[in-house]
Amino acid sequence: MTAPSLPSARADAALWRPLRATVWITACLAALAVLLLVVTHHRAHAHDPLKSPELAALKQRLLDEPRNEELKQQIRDLDLALRRSHSRLLNFYAFGRWLLLGSLVSFVLSAKAWGKLRARPPAPRLSPDAAERFTRLVRLARLTASTTALCTLIALTAIVVAATSPLPSAATDREKLLARLRGEEPEAPPLPPLAEFAANWPRFLGPSGNAFTPVAPEPLTFDAASGDGLLWKVSLSLPGFNSPIIWGNRVFLSGGDAARRSVAAFDLATGQRVWEQAVTGVPGSPAKAPEIPESTGFAASTMATDGLRVYAIFANGDLAAFTLDGRPVWSKHLGVPQNQYGHANSLAVWEGRVIVQLDQGDADAGLSKLIAFDGASGRVAWQVPRKVPESWASPIVVEAAGRAQIITLAGEFVIAHSAGDGAELWRVQELHGEIAPSPIFAGGFVLAVSPNDKLMAIQPDGLGDVTKTHVAWHADDGIPDVTSPVSNGELVFLVTSYGLLSCFDVSSGKKLWEHECDTDVHATPAVAGNRVYVLGGKGKVVVVEAAREFKELATFDLGEAIFASPAFREGRMVIRTAKSLLCVGTPPASASGGTSP
Amino acid sequence: MSHAAPNPSSVSRRQFLREGMRLAAMTGAGAFVGLSIGRTGARENYVWQIDPSKCVYCGNCATACVLKPSAVKCVQAYEICGYCDLCTGYFVPEPNALNTGAENQVCPTAAIERKFIEDPYYEYNIIESLCIGCAKCVEGCTRFGNGSFYLQVRHDRCVNCNECSIARVCAGDAFRRVPASNPYFLKTSAH
Amino acid sequence: MRALFPKSLFPALMGLLAACAVASELRFPPPEFETDYTMPGITTPPPRSLAMEYVDTALLVTALGLAAWLVHRRRSRRGLVALSVFSLVYFGFIRTGCICPIGAPQNVALGMFDPGYTIPLTALAFFLVPLVFSLFWGRTFCAAVCPHGALQDLVLIKPVKVPLWIEQGLGIVPFIFLGLGILLAATGTAFIICRYDPFIPLFRMSGSVFGLTLGGIFLAAALFIGRPFCRFLCPYGALLRLGSIVSRKAVRITPDHCTQCRLCEHSCPFGAIREPVKLPVTPNALAPERRRLTWLILALPVLIAVGAWLGSKLSVAAAKVHPTVALAEQFLAGDKAPAPATALPTPETRALGRAAETAPELIAAASEVRRRLGIGGWWFGGWVGLVIGARLISLSLRPNRTDFEPDRGACYACGRCYLACPNERVRLGLITPAEAAALQAHAPVPRPDAKPS
Repeated sequence: MTAPSLPSARADAALWRPLRATVWITACLAALAVLLLVVTHHRAHAHDPLKSPELAALKQRLLDEPRNEELKQQIRDLDLALRRSHSRLLNFYAFGRWLLLGSLVSFVLSAKAWGKLRARPPAPRLSPDAAERFTRLVRLARLTASTTALCTLIALTAIVVAATSPLPSAATDREKLLARLRGEEPEAPPLPPLAEFAANWPRFLGPSGNAFTPVAPEPLTFDAASGDGLLWKVSLSLPGFNSPIIWGNRVFLSGGDAARRSVAAFDLATGQRVWEQAVTGVPGSPAKAPEIPESTGFAASTMATDGLRVYAIFANGDLAAFTLDGRPVWSKHLGVPQNQYGHANSLAVWEGRVIVQLDQGDADAGLSKLIAFDGASGRVAWQVPRKVPESWASPIVVEAAGRAQIITLAGEFVIAHSAGDGAELWRVQELHGEIAPSPIFAGGFVLAVSPNDKLMAIQPDGLGDVTKTHVAWHADDGIPDVTSPVSNGELVFLVTSYGLLSCFDVSSGKKLWEHECDTDVHATPAVAGNRVYVLGGKGKVVVVEAAREFKELATFDLGEAIFASPAFREGRMVIRTAKSLLCVGTPPASASGGTSP
Repeated sequence: MSHAAPNPSSVSRRQFLREGMRLAAMTGAGAFVGLSIGRTGARENYVWQIDPSKCVYCGNCATACVLKPSAVKCVQAYEICGYCDLCTGYFVPEPNALNTGAENQVCPTAAIERKFIEDPYYEYNIIESLCIGCAKCVEGCTRFGNGSFYLQVRHDRCVNCNECSIARVCAGDAFRRVPASNPYFLKTSAH
Repeated sequence: MRALFPKSLFPALMGLLAACAVASELRFPPPEFETDYTMPGITTPPPRSLAMEYVDTALLVTALGLAAWLVHRRRSRRGLVALSVFSLVYFGFIRTGCICPIGAPQNVALGMFDPGYTIPLTALAFFLVPLVFSLFWGRTFCAAVCPHGALQDLVLIKPVKVPLWIEQGLGIVPFIFLGLGILLAATGTAFIICRYDPFIPLFRMSGSVFGLTLGGIFLAAALFIGRPFCRFLCPYGALLRLGSIVSRKAVRITPDHCTQCRLCEHSCPFGAIREPVKLPVTPNALAPERRRLTWLILALPVLIAVGAWLGSKLSVAAAKVHPTVALAEQFLAGDKAPAPATALPTPETRALGRAAETAPELIAAASEVRRRLGIGGWWFGGWVGLVIGARLISLSLRPNRTDFEPDRGACYACGRCYLACPNERVRLGLITPAEAAALQAHAPVPRPDAKPS
C-alpha cells in the first residue's frame, strides 16, 4: 500500500492545505445552513405569517367599524406583507436545503480526499492466540446480548404494566359500554315520572320554581329552642347558604369552605344523617381553593336531583354527581368562575340532564355559558356561549308555548334557551343592576325581577328580541333586590330585604296589598297551601294568608337566623338555619288527616 | 482453502446444512409468491386520496404533510359549483363587501380567483401554486354551499409515502389508499 | 337567486347550520348561463405511472445483478462505488423511496392480513427480489443498490471501530424492530419502519422536524461509524443477513489462497472480517461449551413461551398507536368538555366531534384492533424470545475457520477488502509476486508498543 503512494508524495503535500481548508469551509457552510434552517423554522413556527393574530384582530375590528376605509387599507397592506413573507419563507427553505446538500456533498468529498492523504498504511500486529480472543469475544457478546434481551423484556413488562386504557378489555364491559353509547341502557333505571317530580322538592324553590306546595305543614307555629312543633332538629356542621332539597325520604344539602366541600343526606322522617361525601379529587380542580367572599361562601348554589342522582356545584367550579345513596358518580371542574361575590346560580335538571348557568366575568369577556351535562355520564350534552356578565339568579326549566325552555336572567337580559339543544329562543332587554332574584313561571307568564326596579311578566311564546312585544305588564312597587318572587299561580308575593311583603295579581300585575314584616329578609319566602311563610334573617317568622285580602296568621320567633328557603314534602317543611336543620310537622300517626288546604 | 481443510466432514456438514436451508428458503419464497399472486391478481399500485365525504376540514393537511407546502390542495368541482355572488368558500362570514379585498377573503394565501362571468354568476378558480391545503374555503363551501371546493391529494406533488403522515393524524379518518388508475374522488353533478 | 341571497342571513344561517356539520350539499342549483360560457374542467394530474414502477423494478433487478457481478466476478470496489452513487441518486433522490425493500415487509404483512389491501406486484417484487438475490450472492442489495446503505457507505470518512461484542450483543435489535414492524403493519396499526426511517426525509429534503433530526443524527454518526442504520436498526437487513448466511456464494477476500498476512483485517469499517479459529485439539476442551449449548437449546422453548405470554399482554399499549384506538381512548377518557363554541375548532376537537357522532362504531373498531393485536402479540412475543434464544445459541457455536473470512451475515459486500490482499493485487497485476512476498514478510512485524492480547 505504501509503495504506490510514494511518487505522488509531493503532489499530496501541495494538496494538503487547500484540502484541509475546503473541509473546514464546507463543514462550516453546512453547519451554517443547518443553523439558518433551524432558526427560520423556529421563527416561522412561532410566528406563522398565515396565522397572524394582528390580521385577525384587524379583521375583528372591521366587524365593529364596517365603514372604516383606512382600516380596510391597513388589512390589505398587512395581508400582502404576510403573504410575501410566507412566500419568502418557502423560497428560503428551497434555497437552504440545496445549500445544505451542496455543502454536505463537497464536505464529504473533500474530507474523503483529505482522509486518503492522511491515511497510514496498515501495520498489523502479530497476535497468535486467536482461540483465546474468540472465547473472550463470544463471552462478552453473550453478556451484551443477554443484557439487551433483559432490557427488552423489562421494557416490555414496563409497557404492559404501565398501559392503562379507558377502553375496556373484557368483552362484557365492552358490550355494556357499547350499549350505553348506542343509547340502549338496559340497566339504567328510567327517570321517575313527572308526577313524582312534582311531589318532591327536587331543586331550589321546588319542582315548579315558584316555591309553592299545595299542602301546608302543621302546626302553624314552631320553636327551635324548645322543639315545639318540630319533628326533629339536627345541628349542622356544614357551612353554606344553599337551601335543602328533598327526594323521597331524603333531604340533601351541600356545604363547603376553602378546605373542604361536601354533600350530605338526612332522613326526612328522623333527621338522622344518612351519608356525607366530600367532593375531592376532581380532575383539574386547583389544589388551593380560590378566594371567595364569606358573604356568599363556597356552597351558595342549591343542589338539584333528577330522582336518580343528586348534583351539587361549588363556588370553586367543582360540579359533582352522587347516587341517592351517596355513591360518587362523576365530578368535574368547570374552571373557577370569575364572580366578585362567588358563584351562586343554583342547578336545574331536565330529562336526566343537569343545567349549569355558568355566568361569569364581564359580558365582553365571553366567559359565560349555559351547559347541559348528561346526568348519568357527566358528558357535555350541549353548551352555548352567552354574551352576558356574571349573575346570581338560578335558571328554571318550563314547558311553555309548546316547548321546553330554560329561562335565565343575567345582565340586562331575560334569555330563554331551548332545553333540548341550548339554542336561544327569545330575549327581553329590561333588567338593571346585579341580578340575584330568580325568574319564576306563573299564570302563563315568565316573571322576572329587575332588582329594586320592577317586576315584569313576559309571554313566553316569542322568538328573537321580544322586549317591545311580549312584556305583558310590569309593577314598580315593593321590588326586592335579593329574594325571588313566589307564586301559587294566582298571586305573586314579593318580599324586600327590609321586610316589605307585597302581593300582586298575576294576570294583571295589579298590587293587592302590602305588609311590613318588620325584619330583614335574606331567604325567598314560600307558599304552602294557603299560607305564605316569610323567614327573617334574625329568625322572625311571619305567616300570612295567601289570599287577595291581607290576613296575618302568625308571627313568632324561631330563635335561629335563616338564610335559606325552606323545602316541603307531604306536609313537612324542612328549614336550614344558620346552625341547624329542622323539620316542621306532626308525627305520622296524626299526619294523615291533619292538614287542610 | 483446499489444502488447509482439517476436518472435511465438518465443512461438508455445514455446507450441506447451508444448502438445505437455502433450498427451504427458496421453496418458501416460491410458495409465498404463488400464494400472493393467487391472492392478489392486482397489478396496480395504490395512492393516497381524501374521501371528501369524510373530510372535517381540520387543517392537518396543511401542516402534517412531509412536503412544504402540502401535496394536498383544494380543487374546484365546477359542475356542482353554484357560481354564487356570495361564495361562502371565498368570503369570510359577514363579509364587509362582496369584493376581492383582503378583508373579505377567507383564503390566507389569496389562492382563490374570483372572476365575473355574467350577472349574477362568478367563477372561482383555485390557483394551485398558492394553495396550502388549509381547508378554510372547503369548510365554508361544504357547510353552507354546494361543496364544490374540496381537498384532494395532488399526485403531481405527492411522493406517495408508504405511510401517509397526514392519514395518521386525519381528524376525519378521510384518507384511504385508492387504486392508482383511479386516483381522484371526482364530484360531478350526478354526485 | 344567489344574488338576492341577503347578506344579513349569512351569519344566522351559519349559526343554524353549525349543528349539522355534514349536511346535504348542492344547496344551490347549478346556474344556467346566458352567455356562451364554457365550464373549465377539473385537472387530475396522474400519479407515477405503472410503467415507471416496472422500470424501477427492472432497474432494481439490473442493479442487483450488476452488484453481484461486481462483487463476485469483477471484484471491483470502484465499480461498486459507482453503482452506489447511481442507486443513491436514482433510488434515493429521484425515486424518493416508497415503496422500498426496507418498508416492503410491512406491505406484505398488511396484504396478508387485511382483506381490503392487496399488495401491488411491484411492492412484492421490491420485497422478494433482494431476498432471493441474497440466497445466491449474499447482501449485494446492501452493497450498492440500497440508497440507505449507499448513503452511509459513501459518507463514511473516518471509521471508528465498534467493539465486536457490542455489535453482536445489539444484533437482536433489528430482528425485534422487524417483528414489531410486522405486528403493527399486519394489524393495520402503523408502518413504524417507515415512520422511523431516518434517510427518506433526507432524500426528499423535506419532512417532519423529528424525521429530519433523526436523519441528521444518523448521517452525522455515519461519518464515523460504518453504516450505523444497517448494522443496528435495519429490519430488512436482518432478513438479508439470514439469506446471506445460507447464500450460495460468499465474499472471499483473497482470490486464491490466504497467506494470513492480516493486511485485510483493518480494511473493513464494519468489523465483518473474522480471523481464523481452529478447533481445540482435544475434544474434551469443548465439553463446557457443549453443556452450555445444550442448556441454551433447552431454554429456547421457555424463552419463546415467556416472550409469547408477555407479548399477548402488549395489546393495550400497542393499540394506542392506532389512530382509531387513540381517538376512542381520548373520547372515553376525555370527558373534557368540548371547547366552548366561541373558541376556534382545532383538529383535536374536530376529531372528538367525529368520535362523539360515531362512538359505537369507533369503540367497536378500536376493540377489534386491540383484539387482533392481542393475537399478533403472541406471535411477536414468541418471535422476540426466539430471536434472543437463537442469538445466544449462535454465540455459543464454535466456528472453524482456516482463513481470514468475512462473516457471512455481517458482510455488506462493499468490496473494500479486496485490494488490501496482496494476492489480489498480484492477480490484478498491480504488484509482482516478489513485491507481494516482501509485503507479506514485512507486514506482521510486531510493533514495540504492541502487547499480546
